[in-house]
Amino acid sequence: MANLNIDSVKERTFDAIVIGSGMSGGWAAKEFTDKGLKTLILERGRDVKHIKDYPTTNMYPWEFEHRGELPMAVQEANPIVNRCYAFGESAAHFFVKDAEHPYIQDKPFDWIRGYQVGGKSLLWARQTQRWSDFDFEGPARDGFAVDWPIRYKDIAPWYSYVEKFAGISGNRDGIAELPDGEFLPAFPLNTVEEYFRDHVKSNYKNRYVISARCAHLSTPNQIHLDQGRVQCQRRTICERGCPFGGYFSANATTIPWALKSGHATLRPFSVVESIIYDEKLGKATGVRVIDTNTKEAIEYYAKVIFVNAAALNTNLILLNSKSHRFPNGLGNDSGVLGKYVAFHNYSAHIGAEYDGAKEWTTDGRNPAGGGYIPRFRNVYKQETDFLRGYASGFGAYRYPQRSWDGVGSSLKDNLANKELGPWHVGSHMMGETIPKESNFVSLDDKQKDAWGVPLLKMNIDYDDNDEKMKKDYVEQLTEMFTSAGFTNIKASTDRRAPGLDIHEMGGARMGNDPKTSILNKWNQVHSVKNVFVTDGASMTSTSCQNPSLTYMAFTARAADYAMSEMKKGNI
Amino acid sequence: MDRRTVIKNLALIIGGAALLPACSQDKTKSKVALKNIDITANLEQLIGDVSETIIPKTTTPGAKDLLLHLFVLKMLDDCYKKEDQQAFVTGMEHFADQSQKLYSKTFDQLDTKTREAFLLDIEKEGKAEEAAAQKSGDKKDAAPATPPAGKYSPELKKFYSIVKRQTINGYTNSKYFMTNIVVYELVPGRYNAHFPYKQKQAV
Repeated sequence: MANLNIDSVKERTFDAIVIGSGMSGGWAAKEFTDKGLKTLILERGRDVKHIKDYPTTNMYPWEFEHRGELPMAVQEANPIVNRCYAFGESAAHFFVKDAEHPYIQDKPFDWIRGYQVGGKSLLWARQTQRWSDFDFEGPARDGFAVDWPIRYKDIAPWYSYVEKFAGISGNRDGIAELPDGEFLPAFPLNTVEEYFRDHVKSNYKNRYVISARCAHLSTPNQIHLDQGRVQCQRRTICERGCPFGGYFSANATTIPWALKSGHATLRPFSVVESIIYDEKLGKATGVRVIDTNTKEAIEYYAKVIFVNAAALNTNLILLNSKSHRFPNGLGNDSGVLGKYVAFHNYSAHIGAEYDGAKEWTTDGRNPAGGGYIPRFRNVYKQETDFLRGYASGFGAYRYPQRSWDGVGSSLKDNLANKELGPWHVGSHMMGETIPKESNFVSLDDKQKDAWGVPLLKMNIDYDDNDEKMKKDYVEQLTEMFTSAGFTNIKASTDRRAPGLDIHEMGGARMGNDPKTSILNKWNQVHSVKNVFVTDGASMTSTSCQNPSLTYMAFTARAADYAMSEMKKGNI
Repeated sequence: MDRRTVIKNLALIIGGAALLPACSQDKTKSKVALKNIDITANLEQLIGDVSETIIPKTTTPGAKDLLLHLFVLKMLDDCYKKEDQQAFVTGMEHFADQSQKLYSKTFDQLDTKTREAFLLDIEKEGKAEEAAAQKSGDKKDAAPATPPAGKYSPELKKFYSIVKRQTINGYTNSKYFMTNIVVYELVPGRYNAHFPYKQKQAV
């Protein structure tokens, strides 16, 4: 790529710079290049090209040296990332190893990262529910954080916009707290999931079990075929990268789309050290990049800069972008940058059996994973001794019971048994947490990484609200399972560190008041009008719905706004 | 075959190793693995005989046909903690000794029935201990139960449980098993949420 070895300012100048090539950065790149803007996409990790760079995607289980398990040496060297469910022999190459990129845990935090083109969009669980005004009005109603500067009506058309392109499967369920979208056909609930849905519907007010909505092409539309993607093949080994483009990843979707336009330059191995602020112009002029291979520092310039480095790295870049005007980090007049970080509480599960529907099973595999129970606690009014609530996954499964007892030909027979056991049902909690000033990230003033960037320090923890909510989840789901006639109910809670949910959010929150927030209602830095943050860092509160779809919608909306402001000469 | 050749052959039968991602594409892996545990060819033969007793050749392939004993070694070398590897090696010696003590023969000299009885007896003792531990665990203030002096040392039981677990793991994840017994589909292309099923009547 000789054209990158350039030294003239002109050749290092673009219309737009997008920092990060993952879930939200890919969208910014697509939106800008669709409109003909010359766009530089910066990615700190290596390139991962769709299909070509998915080395394990077509491997059979017996082709893995350790049949999926990672060697003990790898596990012991990576206690943090090894706690992530998807960190196995088939996908370990898409995860950051602990020693490669250190950070400081003033409090335990499992920071799960994917440093490559596409970022964590290769690895996500692909659950996509819209947020509603029950989420956007939450902080104002319940008196925490600050009021969201937007409401559902502001973001709804952008949800539609990104859903049509990404491809979201789901049913129009007509539930106010989980607005319907532009859906491809849903993956259906199975017999026992339907049984529980019906049971919940007839026994509980405002509680629903629906098909999980997910970013899979159940039946593709023309726009998806135009992207080079085809129907999801129900493989459910998505974390390896999908050669069919069956699920939404930046690698299969937004990044190749942006590159195809001819207006994008993708520069991997480029860690952004800081954003350059020009005191005279009163705006950002570009970014300072360290080439991770050569350690050479290079500056790139643009009219507008989108920061999509993933929530906590976006905080890091802003905190490290210090100038005379902004001694505490870019746009940080309020002092709240890095603070009010929150996450999702995934620390409770429940399992049981169902002694019925014996004449039914399933065939093939369900990429949606089963059912989804939208938040039912404190939706219309405050009704518990904790704030907010939780969504729940729900799935039912049946498989042969293959006893490992005995030895010899009887054991061989046992292992070949195809006779199915009873149905098993399971649920996991996805709880909203409350952003607080005391949950924050900051820069270490001494320790730096291999590229001279200060290490990030984590001070993020659960609180009493989370404990009460967890207890309520166990009680409510146990009661719902019991009344549905499920047996052998076993709830379990764990003490996982924050971060393992991989839904860290906030630190550069949106708000109406520049005194208490970093971004305005357009995801635009209050005091630096040509810098936008549209990844998880921008979130004022966390809802309990999975956040990625909302990042995508915010990004497309902010890019549209930025371009209209550029046209008007405002930025 | 010496052990080096064996491991090399193992690398060959693990098709697709060349397709592994960069992080695990370590061509020196087998050599590293050789350093982790140190067993003689005789003891390797013993693992083969135990694996073959667990998954014997019948009308369908057995452990040795599928090289499962080599898979056990591979997993032991790469995927177990040092203390487990040490217990395994010690336990393997105890196992050989116990065969002499109980049956006055080496394990390979025993007939199939006796081999099976030997292994089942080890399993039985292990299960009884687990049940006892569970029971004392249920009683919170009970003094920790002293394990009854059984016939088999903890290391022997560790050795056996690793061989059994990894023999079954290797078997149920083998190409043979996944293409003939319980067929694995890489590309199902379908999800049928309502699929009729007829439960066999209990005899």
